[in-house]
Amino acid sequence: MKRFLETGNFAITEGAILAGCRFFAGYPITPATELAEAMSFRLPQEGGVYLQAEDETAAMHMCIGASLGGYKAMTATSGPGFILYADPYGWALGCETPLVVLNSGRVGPVSGITGAPGQGEFYLTRYPTQGGNFEAICLAPNSAQECMAMTVEAFYLSERFRMPVTVLADQLITDGFEDISVPENEEEMKKMGFRTWSRKIHQGPDFYPATDEIDIPPVVLGHNTGALCSDWTPTEEGYDIEEVEAHHKHAYRLIYKVRNHRDLFNHHYDKKFMDDDPDLIVVSYGTPSRVVNTAVSKARDEGLKVGALRLINLWPFPDEFFGAKTKYLAVELNWDGQLVREVQRAVPKDSEVHFLGSCGDLPTIPDLIETFEKVLKDEPLARKGWKLEAW
Amino acid sequence: MEYRATEITSRYLRSRKIPSTACSGCGLGMNHKIVIQAVKELGLEVPDIVWGTSIGCAGRQTFATWKGDGFAGTHGRVYAIARGLRIALPPEKKIILTVGDGDAFGIGLTHLIHSARSNADMTVIVNDNLGYQSTGGQYGWTTPQGSKTDSSPYGMFEHNLMSEGMDVLKILKGAGATFLARHVAMDGAWAVETVKKGILNTGFSLIHMPYPCPTNFGSRELGSRNQVNIFRWIRDHSAPLGEEKEDTFWATGIWHDASNSRPEFSQFVHETVEKIRRTGTI
Repeated sequence: MKRFLETGNFAITEGAILAGCRFFAGYPITPATELAEAMSFRLPQEGGVYLQAEDETAAMHMCIGASLGGYKAMTATSGPGFILYADPYGWALGCETPLVVLNSGRVGPVSGITGAPGQGEFYLTRYPTQGGNFEAICLAPNSAQECMAMTVEAFYLSERFRMPVTVLADQLITDGFEDISVPENEEEMKKMGFRTWSRKIHQGPDFYPATDEIDIPPVVLGHNTGALCSDWTPTEEGYDIEEVEAHHKHAYRLIYKVRNHRDLFNHHYDKKFMDDDPDLIVVSYGTPSRVVNTAVSKARDEGLKVGALRLINLWPFPDEFFGAKTKYLAVELNWDGQLVREVQRAVPKDSEVHFLGSCGDLPTIPDLIETFEKVLKDEPLARKGWKLEAW
Repeated sequence: MEYRATEITSRYLRSRKIPSTACSGCGLGMNHKIVIQAVKELGLEVPDIVWGTSIGCAGRQTFATWKGDGFAGTHGRVYAIARGLRIALPPEKKIILTVGDGDAFGIGLTHLIHSARSNADMTVIVNDNLGYQSTGGQYGWTTPQGSKTDSSPYGMFEHNLMSEGMDVLKILKGAGATFLARHVAMDGAWAVETVKKGILNTGFSLIHMPYPCPTNFGSRELGSRNQVNIFRWIRDHSAPLGEEKEDTFWATGIWHDASNSRPEFSQFVHETVEKIRRTGTI
């Protein structure tokens, strides 16, 4: 085990290399540039290829090409680039191409503030492309160390499910320096809970089974298997077809291969003071969850019966954690309220769901404790002169 | 109608997709035949080529026709996919892309230029039906000026990549393409010789091949779906390079042949990576 005082970007690079990634294509964008830089330094040392693309669309398409050729591939960006991934993301979902995409969130919309953390892509990671008829997978680390773990995990899931997987971080997590332990061999990786899955090559010309099966090797071109893949509705053999019944089979697979294997995701979450049926559950992910954890500990010291639920597997959304009929507070880095909508959908009927957002800055611990108190006492919420509606 | 497979089609193409679903009288099959004939004359076999296609008439009608491995990209992006694939494939595998004019010279032009810039080994056959015909017949970036289409009812009056002395091949030459040529679909055996040279170039090759669309372009511009009219019209407006007349739209032949004159993208990248891995420097 090697220890470093390094950034989340460094940790992601090492995680990708541990997972077998040997191809990275990216386009410079704050705050994901340092990851591209780290990849350009590290990949050649491991015999891997780093390419700078002419734009984000090309970057992810180049990753698709490399993945189609048998490489494990990754790309990274921030919100303004993630929106340009919509085109290739859809292709990779439809053609069941394994890929890993990192999105380091900054405050938007559009270019916004390049150097401030944001969580404006919560729903965009669920719907990273148009058209619907698919499920998406997204993991949200909240530390540099976890960035490494979730990158490894993302590669594992992308191979088993044959699909792109998003790692959703934010500017503070990818740019922040932290203590990082990097495993040096497989035994150490196992000890740290890292799961890996090697690339397998589809031996037949058939493209997909019309079932929810996973662990089917992806299409790899160049082995003369007669494999076909395209952006059109495919037949099971990979031919393009304009036919509703064929599309039903394809859509069923893209949705249910994920929905019917949720057991693979369940163990990724983080709970604090959740064992005694708290009166208020504070839900968050990414950077705000670190402030929330401290605030909840302090609130407990002050006698408030508060618990913290941090989500790591964002998509598919872990509805099973929202069974308690109690009060909920979603804390996130946007003012429009995204996570809160999903919490509201998942909780039992008549549960109270509240929202505390910030826009380019972070909630402070006193802010949070004050909000907990108000919610518990049924008082209206307000912050910095902005009247925020109770959800 | 019974379709009888010839030796060349049963050797290289999938019976399920040939004949294609193209409109009656479409000239795309002539271009397709030229490329397959070139492959045959070079002695290449099905495993030697990975075939990529794009969106639109040219992409959709040629997708999955190749007996071997094949893929179709989203609109305009197949050149970026091919570059990633080029890195992963062994150098002896050829990549042939059959694409349309909207895909290559419109939505995909940036990616095309960067593929030329990097000299990635691929042979791009741009099947130019003079506009966006699968969406009903709108003008494109190589549609002759003055042409009437569904989106230029008064005649196409914009400046484009083939108007007033401009030529899209000049852009690609400037970008670093190592083989560039143009043929119309009726050039037959002459075009086959050119495509062979394009495939043999270990680098970025592009052959621009205008072909007749009687259904949309012909019916709007010439007022008739008669195939003979649009075939004649295209033939009459083309001339070999150096023999251009005043009404020549397409000067045909090899425009630029710098085959194998500079390092190929993926081989260069892999050699450099290997050197860094061994010595820590380039």
